[in-house]
Amino acid sequence: MSSITLIWIALPFFVGFSIYLLPKLDRWLAIAIPLLSFGYGLQRIFDPFPLDLALLDNFGVTLSSDTLSGYFILTNAIVTAAVLLYCWQSSKSAFFYTQMCILHGSVNAVFICADLISLYVALEIIGVAAFLLIAYPRTDRSIWVGLRYLFVSNTAMLFYLLGALLVYQTTHSFAFAGVGQAPPEAVALIFLGLLTKGGIFVSGLWLPLTHSESETPVSAMLSGVVVKTGVFPLVRFALLIPELDPIVRLFGVGTALLGVGYAIWEKDSKRMLAFHTVSQLGFILAAPEVGGFYALTHGLVKSALFLIAGNLPSRNLKELQQIPLSMPLWVALAIASFSISGFPLLSGFGAKVLTMKALVPWQVVGMNLAALGTTISFAKFIFLPRGGKESLKSSFWLPILLLLGSLVIANGFYIDAYTLTNIVKPLVTIGIGWLVYWGIIRRVSFKLPRVIEQLEHLIGVMSLMLSLLFWMVLA
Amino acid sequence: MSILEALVLATILFGFFGIILKKNLIMKILSMDVMSTGVIGYFVLVASQRGLFTPIANQKEAVAYADPVPQAVILTAIVIGFSIQALMLVGVMKLSRDTPTLEVSEIEKHYTP
Repeated sequence: MSSITLIWIALPFFVGFSIYLLPKLDRWLAIAIPLLSFGYGLQRIFDPFPLDLALLDNFGVTLSSDTLSGYFILTNAIVTAAVLLYCWQSSKSAFFYTQMCILHGSVNAVFICADLISLYVALEIIGVAAFLLIAYPRTDRSIWVGLRYLFVSNTAMLFYLLGALLVYQTTHSFAFAGVGQAPPEAVALIFLGLLTKGGIFVSGLWLPLTHSESETPVSAMLSGVVVKTGVFPLVRFALLIPELDPIVRLFGVGTALLGVGYAIWEKDSKRMLAFHTVSQLGFILAAPEVGGFYALTHGLVKSALFLIAGNLPSRNLKELQQIPLSMPLWVALAIASFSISGFPLLSGFGAKVLTMKALVPWQVVGMNLAALGTTISFAKFIFLPRGGKESLKSSFWLPILLLLGSLVIANGFYIDAYTLTNIVKPLVTIGIGWLVYWGIIRRVSFKLPRVIEQLEHLIGVMSLMLSLLFWMVLA
Repeated sequence: MSILEALVLATILFGFFGIILKKNLIMKILSMDVMSTGVIGYFVLVASQRGLFTPIANQKEAVAYADPVPQAVILTAIVIGFSIQALMLVGVMKLSRDTPTLEVSEIEKHYTP
């Protein structure tokens, strides 16, 4: 198994560069990579024994791949495959597919690494590859959006690096476990880097603009898997070090409410989805021990939603209420919206039930409010008018079928969720959500200021978060 | 805390303030470089806490070696840092055609919806 792991982790990079040498085979080479990850991810989920690897002696790279990694790897595999299928007929150059492979490989690396420096390297490669994908259209706006992303993430990673050094100074090792014995300032610095990279709470407010202004397939990739690279290490820390568990859970509740609070008022479909990414990441963090399954369902549903939203006739939800959608497109949109609202038969239901069960008492109110907010804002999609006639090409339906089909099949991971009380609760929540939507949200128009999304404020917020984190760890 | 450590931390802080306070995009990127220089300096400082000699194990008598691990690690970080810096400057070059002043507030007005 260890040699398979090593080959699997190195292959995306080799294939990525070979694509540049064999541009005629670009799509075929690229699609092989997620297929391999799919097999590997499934194997890790069902293998009860975690695999720990230490390469090269004492201070080498350490890897650890277990069930939790398995879920994240599976998410990465399915989302990447869907995005590649979506791009199949488009005239994307070999450069695009090279970057996709490198991004996929470095995201995988995050999900199995077990020391701070391997994590740092993988996160930085993700930053570069994501920048190149965002800036792929080469328009000035896309370059600015990418540059802003790279700037924020690189500054956050400098803080992270400082934290990693402080951990080394106390424990003489970069292993994850050392974070437990490190001084509070080290933990605060590392958490700041990861929270920013993962788009969580106020440090994650760079995310809405980046994810909504990127091209459709890139948005799907960013929201589906790339942000989870910041969340995964936090989940690992929470599971590994009991003292950090309440902090991670608190950030889970905070970001779930913050994201939903913005999303309800949002009139732009892609921005609404991006704010929901901020909020859904909170559900992963709120219950770290079951976060893997939630990450899987969220990755599937959010990339499907971004792919669909990119094919709606308009981005403005007010305009969309006037234009009837074609029936198949509406059905796909409704299935995805129902899954994220936690409707039974779709795996969003199982994930929500599992998460709600693993909450500690003080989280319950906040997380239920966030779930209610989710149903309110997805009512905006479900109640769009139907009956239009435009038809979409096959390259759109294949990835959507893959993603929505996986959502149904993923139910199998937690079939015990289907009890009467569990089924009634989301139905009630959705009912209340729809009432609030028709009663209030549809009539009231309210625009939240976007000042805090300016670059200077995004950087400035880091200093505030740093002191907040420091006092939280100290307390 | 030694004076050297205080100076290194001051470098990091100055870089960070530069990122926030400078209006020009090039200056912001340069400030980020100052900040990363500070971080690199801190790694070197921590490495040299136990000794200053180059860690090559062929000297006759035992001497106080510098810790090789942080130095090896920071080498990777330097390479990553400068490639990101280069990438950002290329992006800035492209942007400067339409916004020659490169003021962040101007650019944001142009490109955010």
